[in-house]
Amino acid sequence: MTIGKPVVRVEDERFLRGEGRFTADYTLPFMVEAHIFRSPYGHARIAAINLDAALALKGVHAIVTGADLPEGLAPIQCRIPTHGDLSPYLQYPLARDKVRYVGEPIAVIVADTRAVAEDAAELIEIDFDPLPAVTDPARAIEPGAEPIHESGNLAGRWGFDLGDVPGALSEAAFIASDSFSIQRHSAMPMETRGLLASYDAGRNLLDIYGPTKVVHTNRNMLAAMLGMGEAEIRMIEPDVGGSFGARGEFYPEDYLIPFVAMRVRRPVRWIEDRVEHFAAINHSRDCAFHVTVAANRDGIITAFDVKLVTDMGSYIRTHGDVVPSHAAASFPGPYRVRNYRIDAMTVMTNKTPTGTYRAPGMFEANFARERAIDRLADKMGIDRAELRRRNLIQPEEMPWYVGTESVKRPTIFDSGNFPLIMDRALKAYGWDAPFEREVNGWKRGRGLCALVEPSGLGPFEGVRIEVDQHGKVQIFSGSSNQGQGHETILAQIASEVLTVPMEKIRVRHGDTGIITFGGGTYASRTAIMGGNAVHSASVGVRQKALDAASRKFGIAVEDLDLREGAIWHGHRNEPVVTLGGIARMLMPGNQEILVSPSAGNIPDNDGLVVTSYVRGVTAGAAVFAVHMADVLVDPETGETKVERYFVACDVGRQLNPLIVEGQIVGGVVQGLGGTFLEELAYNEDGQLTTGTFADYLMPNVYDVPPITALVFEESPALTNVLGVKGVGEVGPSGVGATIGNAIANALATDTGLNKLPLTPERILQSTGFGGLQ
Amino acid sequence: MKKHSVDLTVNGREASLLVEPRQSLADALRGELGLTGSHLGCEHGVCGACTIIVDGDPVRGCLMLAVQAQGADVVTVEGVSPKVGLSEIQAALREFHGLQCGFCTPGMVVVLHHLFSENPRPSEAEIREAISGQLCRCTGYQGIMNAAKAVAARHQSKNV
Repeated sequence: MTIGKPVVRVEDERFLRGEGRFTADYTLPFMVEAHIFRSPYGHARIAAINLDAALALKGVHAIVTGADLPEGLAPIQCRIPTHGDLSPYLQYPLARDKVRYVGEPIAVIVADTRAVAEDAAELIEIDFDPLPAVTDPARAIEPGAEPIHESGNLAGRWGFDLGDVPGALSEAAFIASDSFSIQRHSAMPMETRGLLASYDAGRNLLDIYGPTKVVHTNRNMLAAMLGMGEAEIRMIEPDVGGSFGARGEFYPEDYLIPFVAMRVRRPVRWIEDRVEHFAAINHSRDCAFHVTVAANRDGIITAFDVKLVTDMGSYIRTHGDVVPSHAAASFPGPYRVRNYRIDAMTVMTNKTPTGTYRAPGMFEANFARERAIDRLADKMGIDRAELRRRNLIQPEEMPWYVGTESVKRPTIFDSGNFPLIMDRALKAYGWDAPFEREVNGWKRGRGLCALVEPSGLGPFEGVRIEVDQHGKVQIFSGSSNQGQGHETILAQIASEVLTVPMEKIRVRHGDTGIITFGGGTYASRTAIMGGNAVHSASVGVRQKALDAASRKFGIAVEDLDLREGAIWHGHRNEPVVTLGGIARMLMPGNQEILVSPSAGNIPDNDGLVVTSYVRGVTAGAAVFAVHMADVLVDPETGETKVERYFVACDVGRQLNPLIVEGQIVGGVVQGLGGTFLEELAYNEDGQLTTGTFADYLMPNVYDVPPITALVFEESPALTNVLGVKGVGEVGPSGVGATIGNAIANALATDTGLNKLPLTPERILQSTGFGGLQ
Repeated sequence: MKKHSVDLTVNGREASLLVEPRQSLADALRGELGLTGSHLGCEHGVCGACTIIVDGDPVRGCLMLAVQAQGADVVTVEGVSPKVGLSEIQAALREFHGLQCGFCTPGMVVVLHHLFSENPRPSEAEIREAISGQLCRCTGYQGIMNAAKAVAARHQSKNV
C-alpha cells in the first residue's frame, strides 16, 4: 500500500545533487541567444525605431520588431471563458504603435550570446512620445481619463444578484461595512522563465524546451499563431523552479522565441533575468472590495453586498478575468448566505498585465469577507468563532450550490462537514483558552478565518501507462510539474493499483510529444484529475493483464489475482506470470496469444499499454479550511511577530502526508509574504518601484513562525474515485484574513487593517497613531 | 571582447576558464565547465541559489567575476555530493521534505555543508543564520530547518 504513506519524493535526489535540468541548463549545437527590448515607458507612442547601430554590432543575427510580425497575426487569446468580450484588450507579442506598460516587448534581439544581445539593446534608438500613464483604477474610469485602449479603460462590469439583498439589509439588526484592498503582488518563482526553441526547417518541426503548466494548450495556441500542425510542434517541460499559477501561461515570449528561431534557422535560447521577470510575468491580486455584511439578532448572517474593482493592468492575458471571477463566485465562502450581490468592475491601467497567483481570487475574497465578519462579530459582541459556526453550511445541505458561476461553471461544493472540522480545529488550537494579552508592552491577538477552496478544475486529464517486458512501468501524464511532487504521487497511485514497487515506476510529464492530449497543472488539479487518470489507466492495465493471462493459461479471470507485480492463480504459492511476462506476450508480433502471420493483416496486440482520459467535474472538489494564528504587535512601532500559525483542512484523502503538509506550510509562508511584505508598487509615471529582490521583499527564514497543519480525511470528494481534494491553495488562501483579524484583536481596534500589506505604518494607523498614509 | 584565461581548482580538480572580464563566476562554472547545479535566480546577489564555496567561504557566484577566481579553490553543489546517492545533509533534506521545486536547493545544500563542516552541532539559531541569505519560495523553510536540526541532533547524540 503506497497511497496515503509519507513516501519520500522520487524527484529529490537529482535536485539535491545539483543534477536537475532546468531550462537554462539546456544547450543545443549552434545555439544563439535572445534578449527582449522592453518599453521603458508606462504609456507612450512609438514614433520611430532605428535599429542600424544595433544590427551592425558584431555577433548580432537578427532584430525583430512589431513590423516584422506576419500580417494578420492574431493577438494572444484567452484560454478560458470571460465575463463579456475582453478581446479588445488582448496583447500582441510585440508592441507596434503604442506601449502600455513598462516592460512591454518592443523588439527581440538574437545574438551569439545573451551579453552581446544586451549590448545591442543599448544601441537601439526609439523615439517615444510619452502619454499620461494611468495607474489608479479609480481614476482610470473617471470621465476624461487617458484611454489606454480604444475600447476604454473599463473592460468589464458584471456581477451576481441572488436572493433579496436590499430586503435583508433593511431588516438587519446588525450591519458592518468597510473597504478592503489587496495589493498587487505575484508568484515570484525562484527560477525565472526561459525558452529554448529549435526549428528543423526541412521537416517543419519545432521543438521548444521550457514551457510548463499547460503545455498542450500552449502548443495548440502556438500552432494556430504560426499556422503549423499541432503535432509539428513539441513542447517539452524541463525541471521547473516553481510556478504558483504565473509561470507557464502563454506569454508574448512563447510566440517570439519560436518565431525568431524559425527566422534565424538556429536554436534560440532566452533566459529571463530577474528584473525582466518583475516587469514581464503576470502580476496578480490587486483588487479592492467594499463589503457590507448584515445579520439578524440571532447572529445569522443574512446578506453580503459587495463591490469589487480589479486592476487588470494593461492587457488581458490568457487568464482573462479569472481572478475577480473566482473572487465573485466564491465570495460567500463556507456560509449559508442566500442573499448575495456583487458588482464587479475590471479596469485597465498602465501596469503589467495580470493573471493568477496561488489561490486566485480566494486569498483576496477571504481577506475582505473574513475581516468584515470580524467587524460584525465585534459589533454584535459575540465570539468570532461562534458567529462563523452559526452560519456554516451544514453537511446535510451538501452538495451546496452557491448560485454563482466562474469561467462558465456553476460554483458547487461537493461535500464536507464544515461544523465538525471547525469544532475540531478550534479545540486543537485551543481557541477558547485564555491567553496573556500583553507581553513586555507588546499586545497579543488571536485571529481566525474559515474558507472553502475550490480545486480540481478544468475539462479533462489524460495518462498513458506502458509496462515493458522487464515489468518497468512508465506513466506518461498530460499534466505537468513545477515542484509539487507529482512524479511521486502519480507513481504512488500506480504502485498501489499495479502492486509494483515505486522503484520500478517512472513518471514523465509536461511533454506534448509523449501523450496526445493533456490538461496541465493548476487549481490543484494534478492530484485530482491527473491522479484519477493514473488510477483509471492502472485499473485498465490490471484488467488487461488479467484478461491476457486468462486467455493464455486457460484460467478464469475470477480465479486470477494481481499482487507483487505478478498474476497469481488463487492461493497457489507460485505466480503464473509477471507483469513483464504479460507485457512481452502482448507485444505486437508475438505469437503466444494471437495466431501466426496470416494471409492478410489482422489487428495485433497493442502491448500492456492503456490510455485513459478522465472528464472534469463541474463542481471540482471543495476543501474546507480553518486558519488560526497568534500575533504579537508592538503598539509603539507597529512591528509584529507571528507566534504560531495553524491550518486545519479536510482534504478528503491524502495521497502523501509529507507532500500535503509541505504544500500547506509553504503556502502559508507565501501568504505571509503577501500579508506583510510583498508589493509591486508603481509610481505615477507607471514605473515599477519594487522591481528587484532588494525592494520586493519575500519571506526569508527569519520571517517564518512555527506552522502546524492539521489534516483531516473526513469527507472524501464525491466527484472522483480516489476521493482526493486539492491542497495547493489552502495554505495561502486564508493568511491575510487571519493575520488581519489577529492584529485587530491584539489592538482591540475596529478600524483599519483593511489594506494589505499590513505594514507597520498601517498597523499604527489602525490605532489612531502614526498618521502616515 | 578579449577573453582571459583563469586557472583555478573546482571541486578538487584543476580547471581552466576562458572568459570575458565581465563574466560572472557562476556563468563561467555553468557555461564553461557544465556545472549547472549552481542556479541563477536573481543575478543581483539576493536569492542565494548560486552560492558556492570559494577558498572556504560561501560566496554568491553571480556577484563574483570569473577573472577574480584566479588561483581560487572553488566547491559547488556537485563537489559536496557523493559519487552516488546523497550526503547526510542531502538525505535529511529529502527525509524532511526540505525541497519542492529544487531550484534553490543547491544553494541550501552548499551553505548547510559549509555550516556543518565548520560546526558539526550547530544550534537552531546558527542554522537559521546560515540559511538566512537563501530564499526558498516553496517550502516555507520549515522542512529545511527540520532537516538541519535533525542532522545536528544526530551529531550531538553520536558526539560527532
